[in-house]
Amino acid sequence: MADEKKKVKKIVVNRDLCIGAASCIVNAPGVFELDAENKVVMKKDGGTKTSDATERQSLEDKATDDETIINAAQSCPTKAILVYDEDGKQIYP
Amino acid sequence: MQTKYLVVGGGVAGTSAAETIRAKDKTSPIHIVSDEPYRFYSRIMLSKPSFFLGKVPFDSVFLKNEAWAQDNTITTTFGQRVVSLDTTKKVATLGNGDTISYEKLLLALGCDVCRWTIPGADKKGVHYLRTLDDAKGIIENVKGAKRAVVIGGGFIGFEMCDMLKLAGLDTTLIIREKYFWEPLLDEPSGRMIEKALQKGGVNIIYGTLVDEVTGKTAVEGVQLNTGTTLPTDMIIVGIGTRSTLDWVTKSGIACNRGVLTDEFLRTNEPDVYAAGDAAEYNDAILEEHIQFGNWANAQLQGKVAAENMMGGHRPFRHVSFYSAQGLGMSIVFAGDIRVLPDRTVVTRGTPASNGYTRIIIKDGEIEGATMINRTLDLQPIVKLIELNVKVEPYLKQLSDPSVDLKSIIPPTP
Repeated sequence: MADEKKKVKKIVVNRDLCIGAASCIVNAPGVFELDAENKVVMKKDGGTKTSDATERQSLEDKATDDETIINAAQSCPTKAILVYDEDGKQIYP
Repeated sequence: MQTKYLVVGGGVAGTSAAETIRAKDKTSPIHIVSDEPYRFYSRIMLSKPSFFLGKVPFDSVFLKNEAWAQDNTITTTFGQRVVSLDTTKKVATLGNGDTISYEKLLLALGCDVCRWTIPGADKKGVHYLRTLDDAKGIIENVKGAKRAVVIGGGFIGFEMCDMLKLAGLDTTLIIREKYFWEPLLDEPSGRMIEKALQKGGVNIIYGTLVDEVTGKTAVEGVQLNTGTTLPTDMIIVGIGTRSTLDWVTKSGIACNRGVLTDEFLRTNEPDVYAAGDAAEYNDAILEEHIQFGNWANAQLQGKVAAENMMGGHRPFRHVSFYSAQGLGMSIVFAGDIRVLPDRTVVTRGTPASNGYTRIIIKDGEIEGATMINRTLDLQPIVKLIELNVKVEPYLKQLSDPSVDLKSIIPPTP
């Protein structure tokens, strides 16, 4: 798919849509985890965690590749993970 | 018809398997047979209030666009069931008489819901929740209804009560047991959930069965075994799931409650695999045969089965968990939560403090856990299960809700 060539720049978790099915965590355990409210957050540098718009570079885990992040977003049964490329264009969903 | 990879089931396990094969093998024929008329959709969305109440567009339930199968040169047959299978000749026969010969077969059959057999159960307005058509029926009925009855204390019962109250209906939950989710949960956990339901305005009737659904062609009420009749405009029945495996069993594939597989998701017949809700697999971590009806589990099993169908040799290793939230509470089950005679339970937190975890231990290792409003226990517990950590020296920490369970995870070597 053409999408895979674009670079992931920013990720957002829509907490209203997230239901804690955790398929993103299965796909990309280095990036995502559940918080106390059963919603997905991203693990950032310095130990902070958020669902808000997060720059790819500020993720704590540097090893997870773009394809894995996009797969994780695509695995979400409620399309709660939004992925943007370097031009600010939404790659998924 | 002829294919290399035949996938029976168009849900998440089957779709993830087809996707996994196609990512590595661009040319071999793949054929998905689904008994539903729709392309792959999010079964998990079907029980969520945001979907029911139209807060998200209806079409967002579809997780692939219409062109997906064609773009990936995947053949699809919708609205057809497999009715027989010959594992020697490697041929599956569909309900319409078509036959498909295969080299590798994946059974991603999912589960059916248990259905009522009481008089009147076929009346209009008696709903189950399994398919997109079931959900459409409920959405339509909710619009005109004022009163609803929900049957069964479990995930479906909980989520449907939440949805019905959000939709503004008078809602009564009828359970056969003495408390919600007996015997899977202990009584204090069940009572916590009931409290949230009651606070949300749900009326609960305990220890009661419905003898008959009353009404002409549509539901007008339920006749209870206590003698009373309760008027209602609709009924949602959530009394469990079962796999329909007639043709699978007849073909010689070993089944129990589900299709039995080893840790590589292989059945006893060569080149036949199973994944998802219908697979009763040998769990490499829990060391027992187990069946989980769960999205992330099914997705990962589809992937692992596909890799093995392509010649791989990867055991399925994953600690499954379910979660639900609604009515201001979160409920999470991880691993195997059955309290069998060979297991003990350590509790953490209290119902009074509104956060209560039960940790189920077998042979000194954690087998599973139930968490009510304590989702932060989930990740460390999953890790402890995964690593088969002997927790006997840490029972004090496990039972102290102020201790971060991460502290007892051994450092990775």
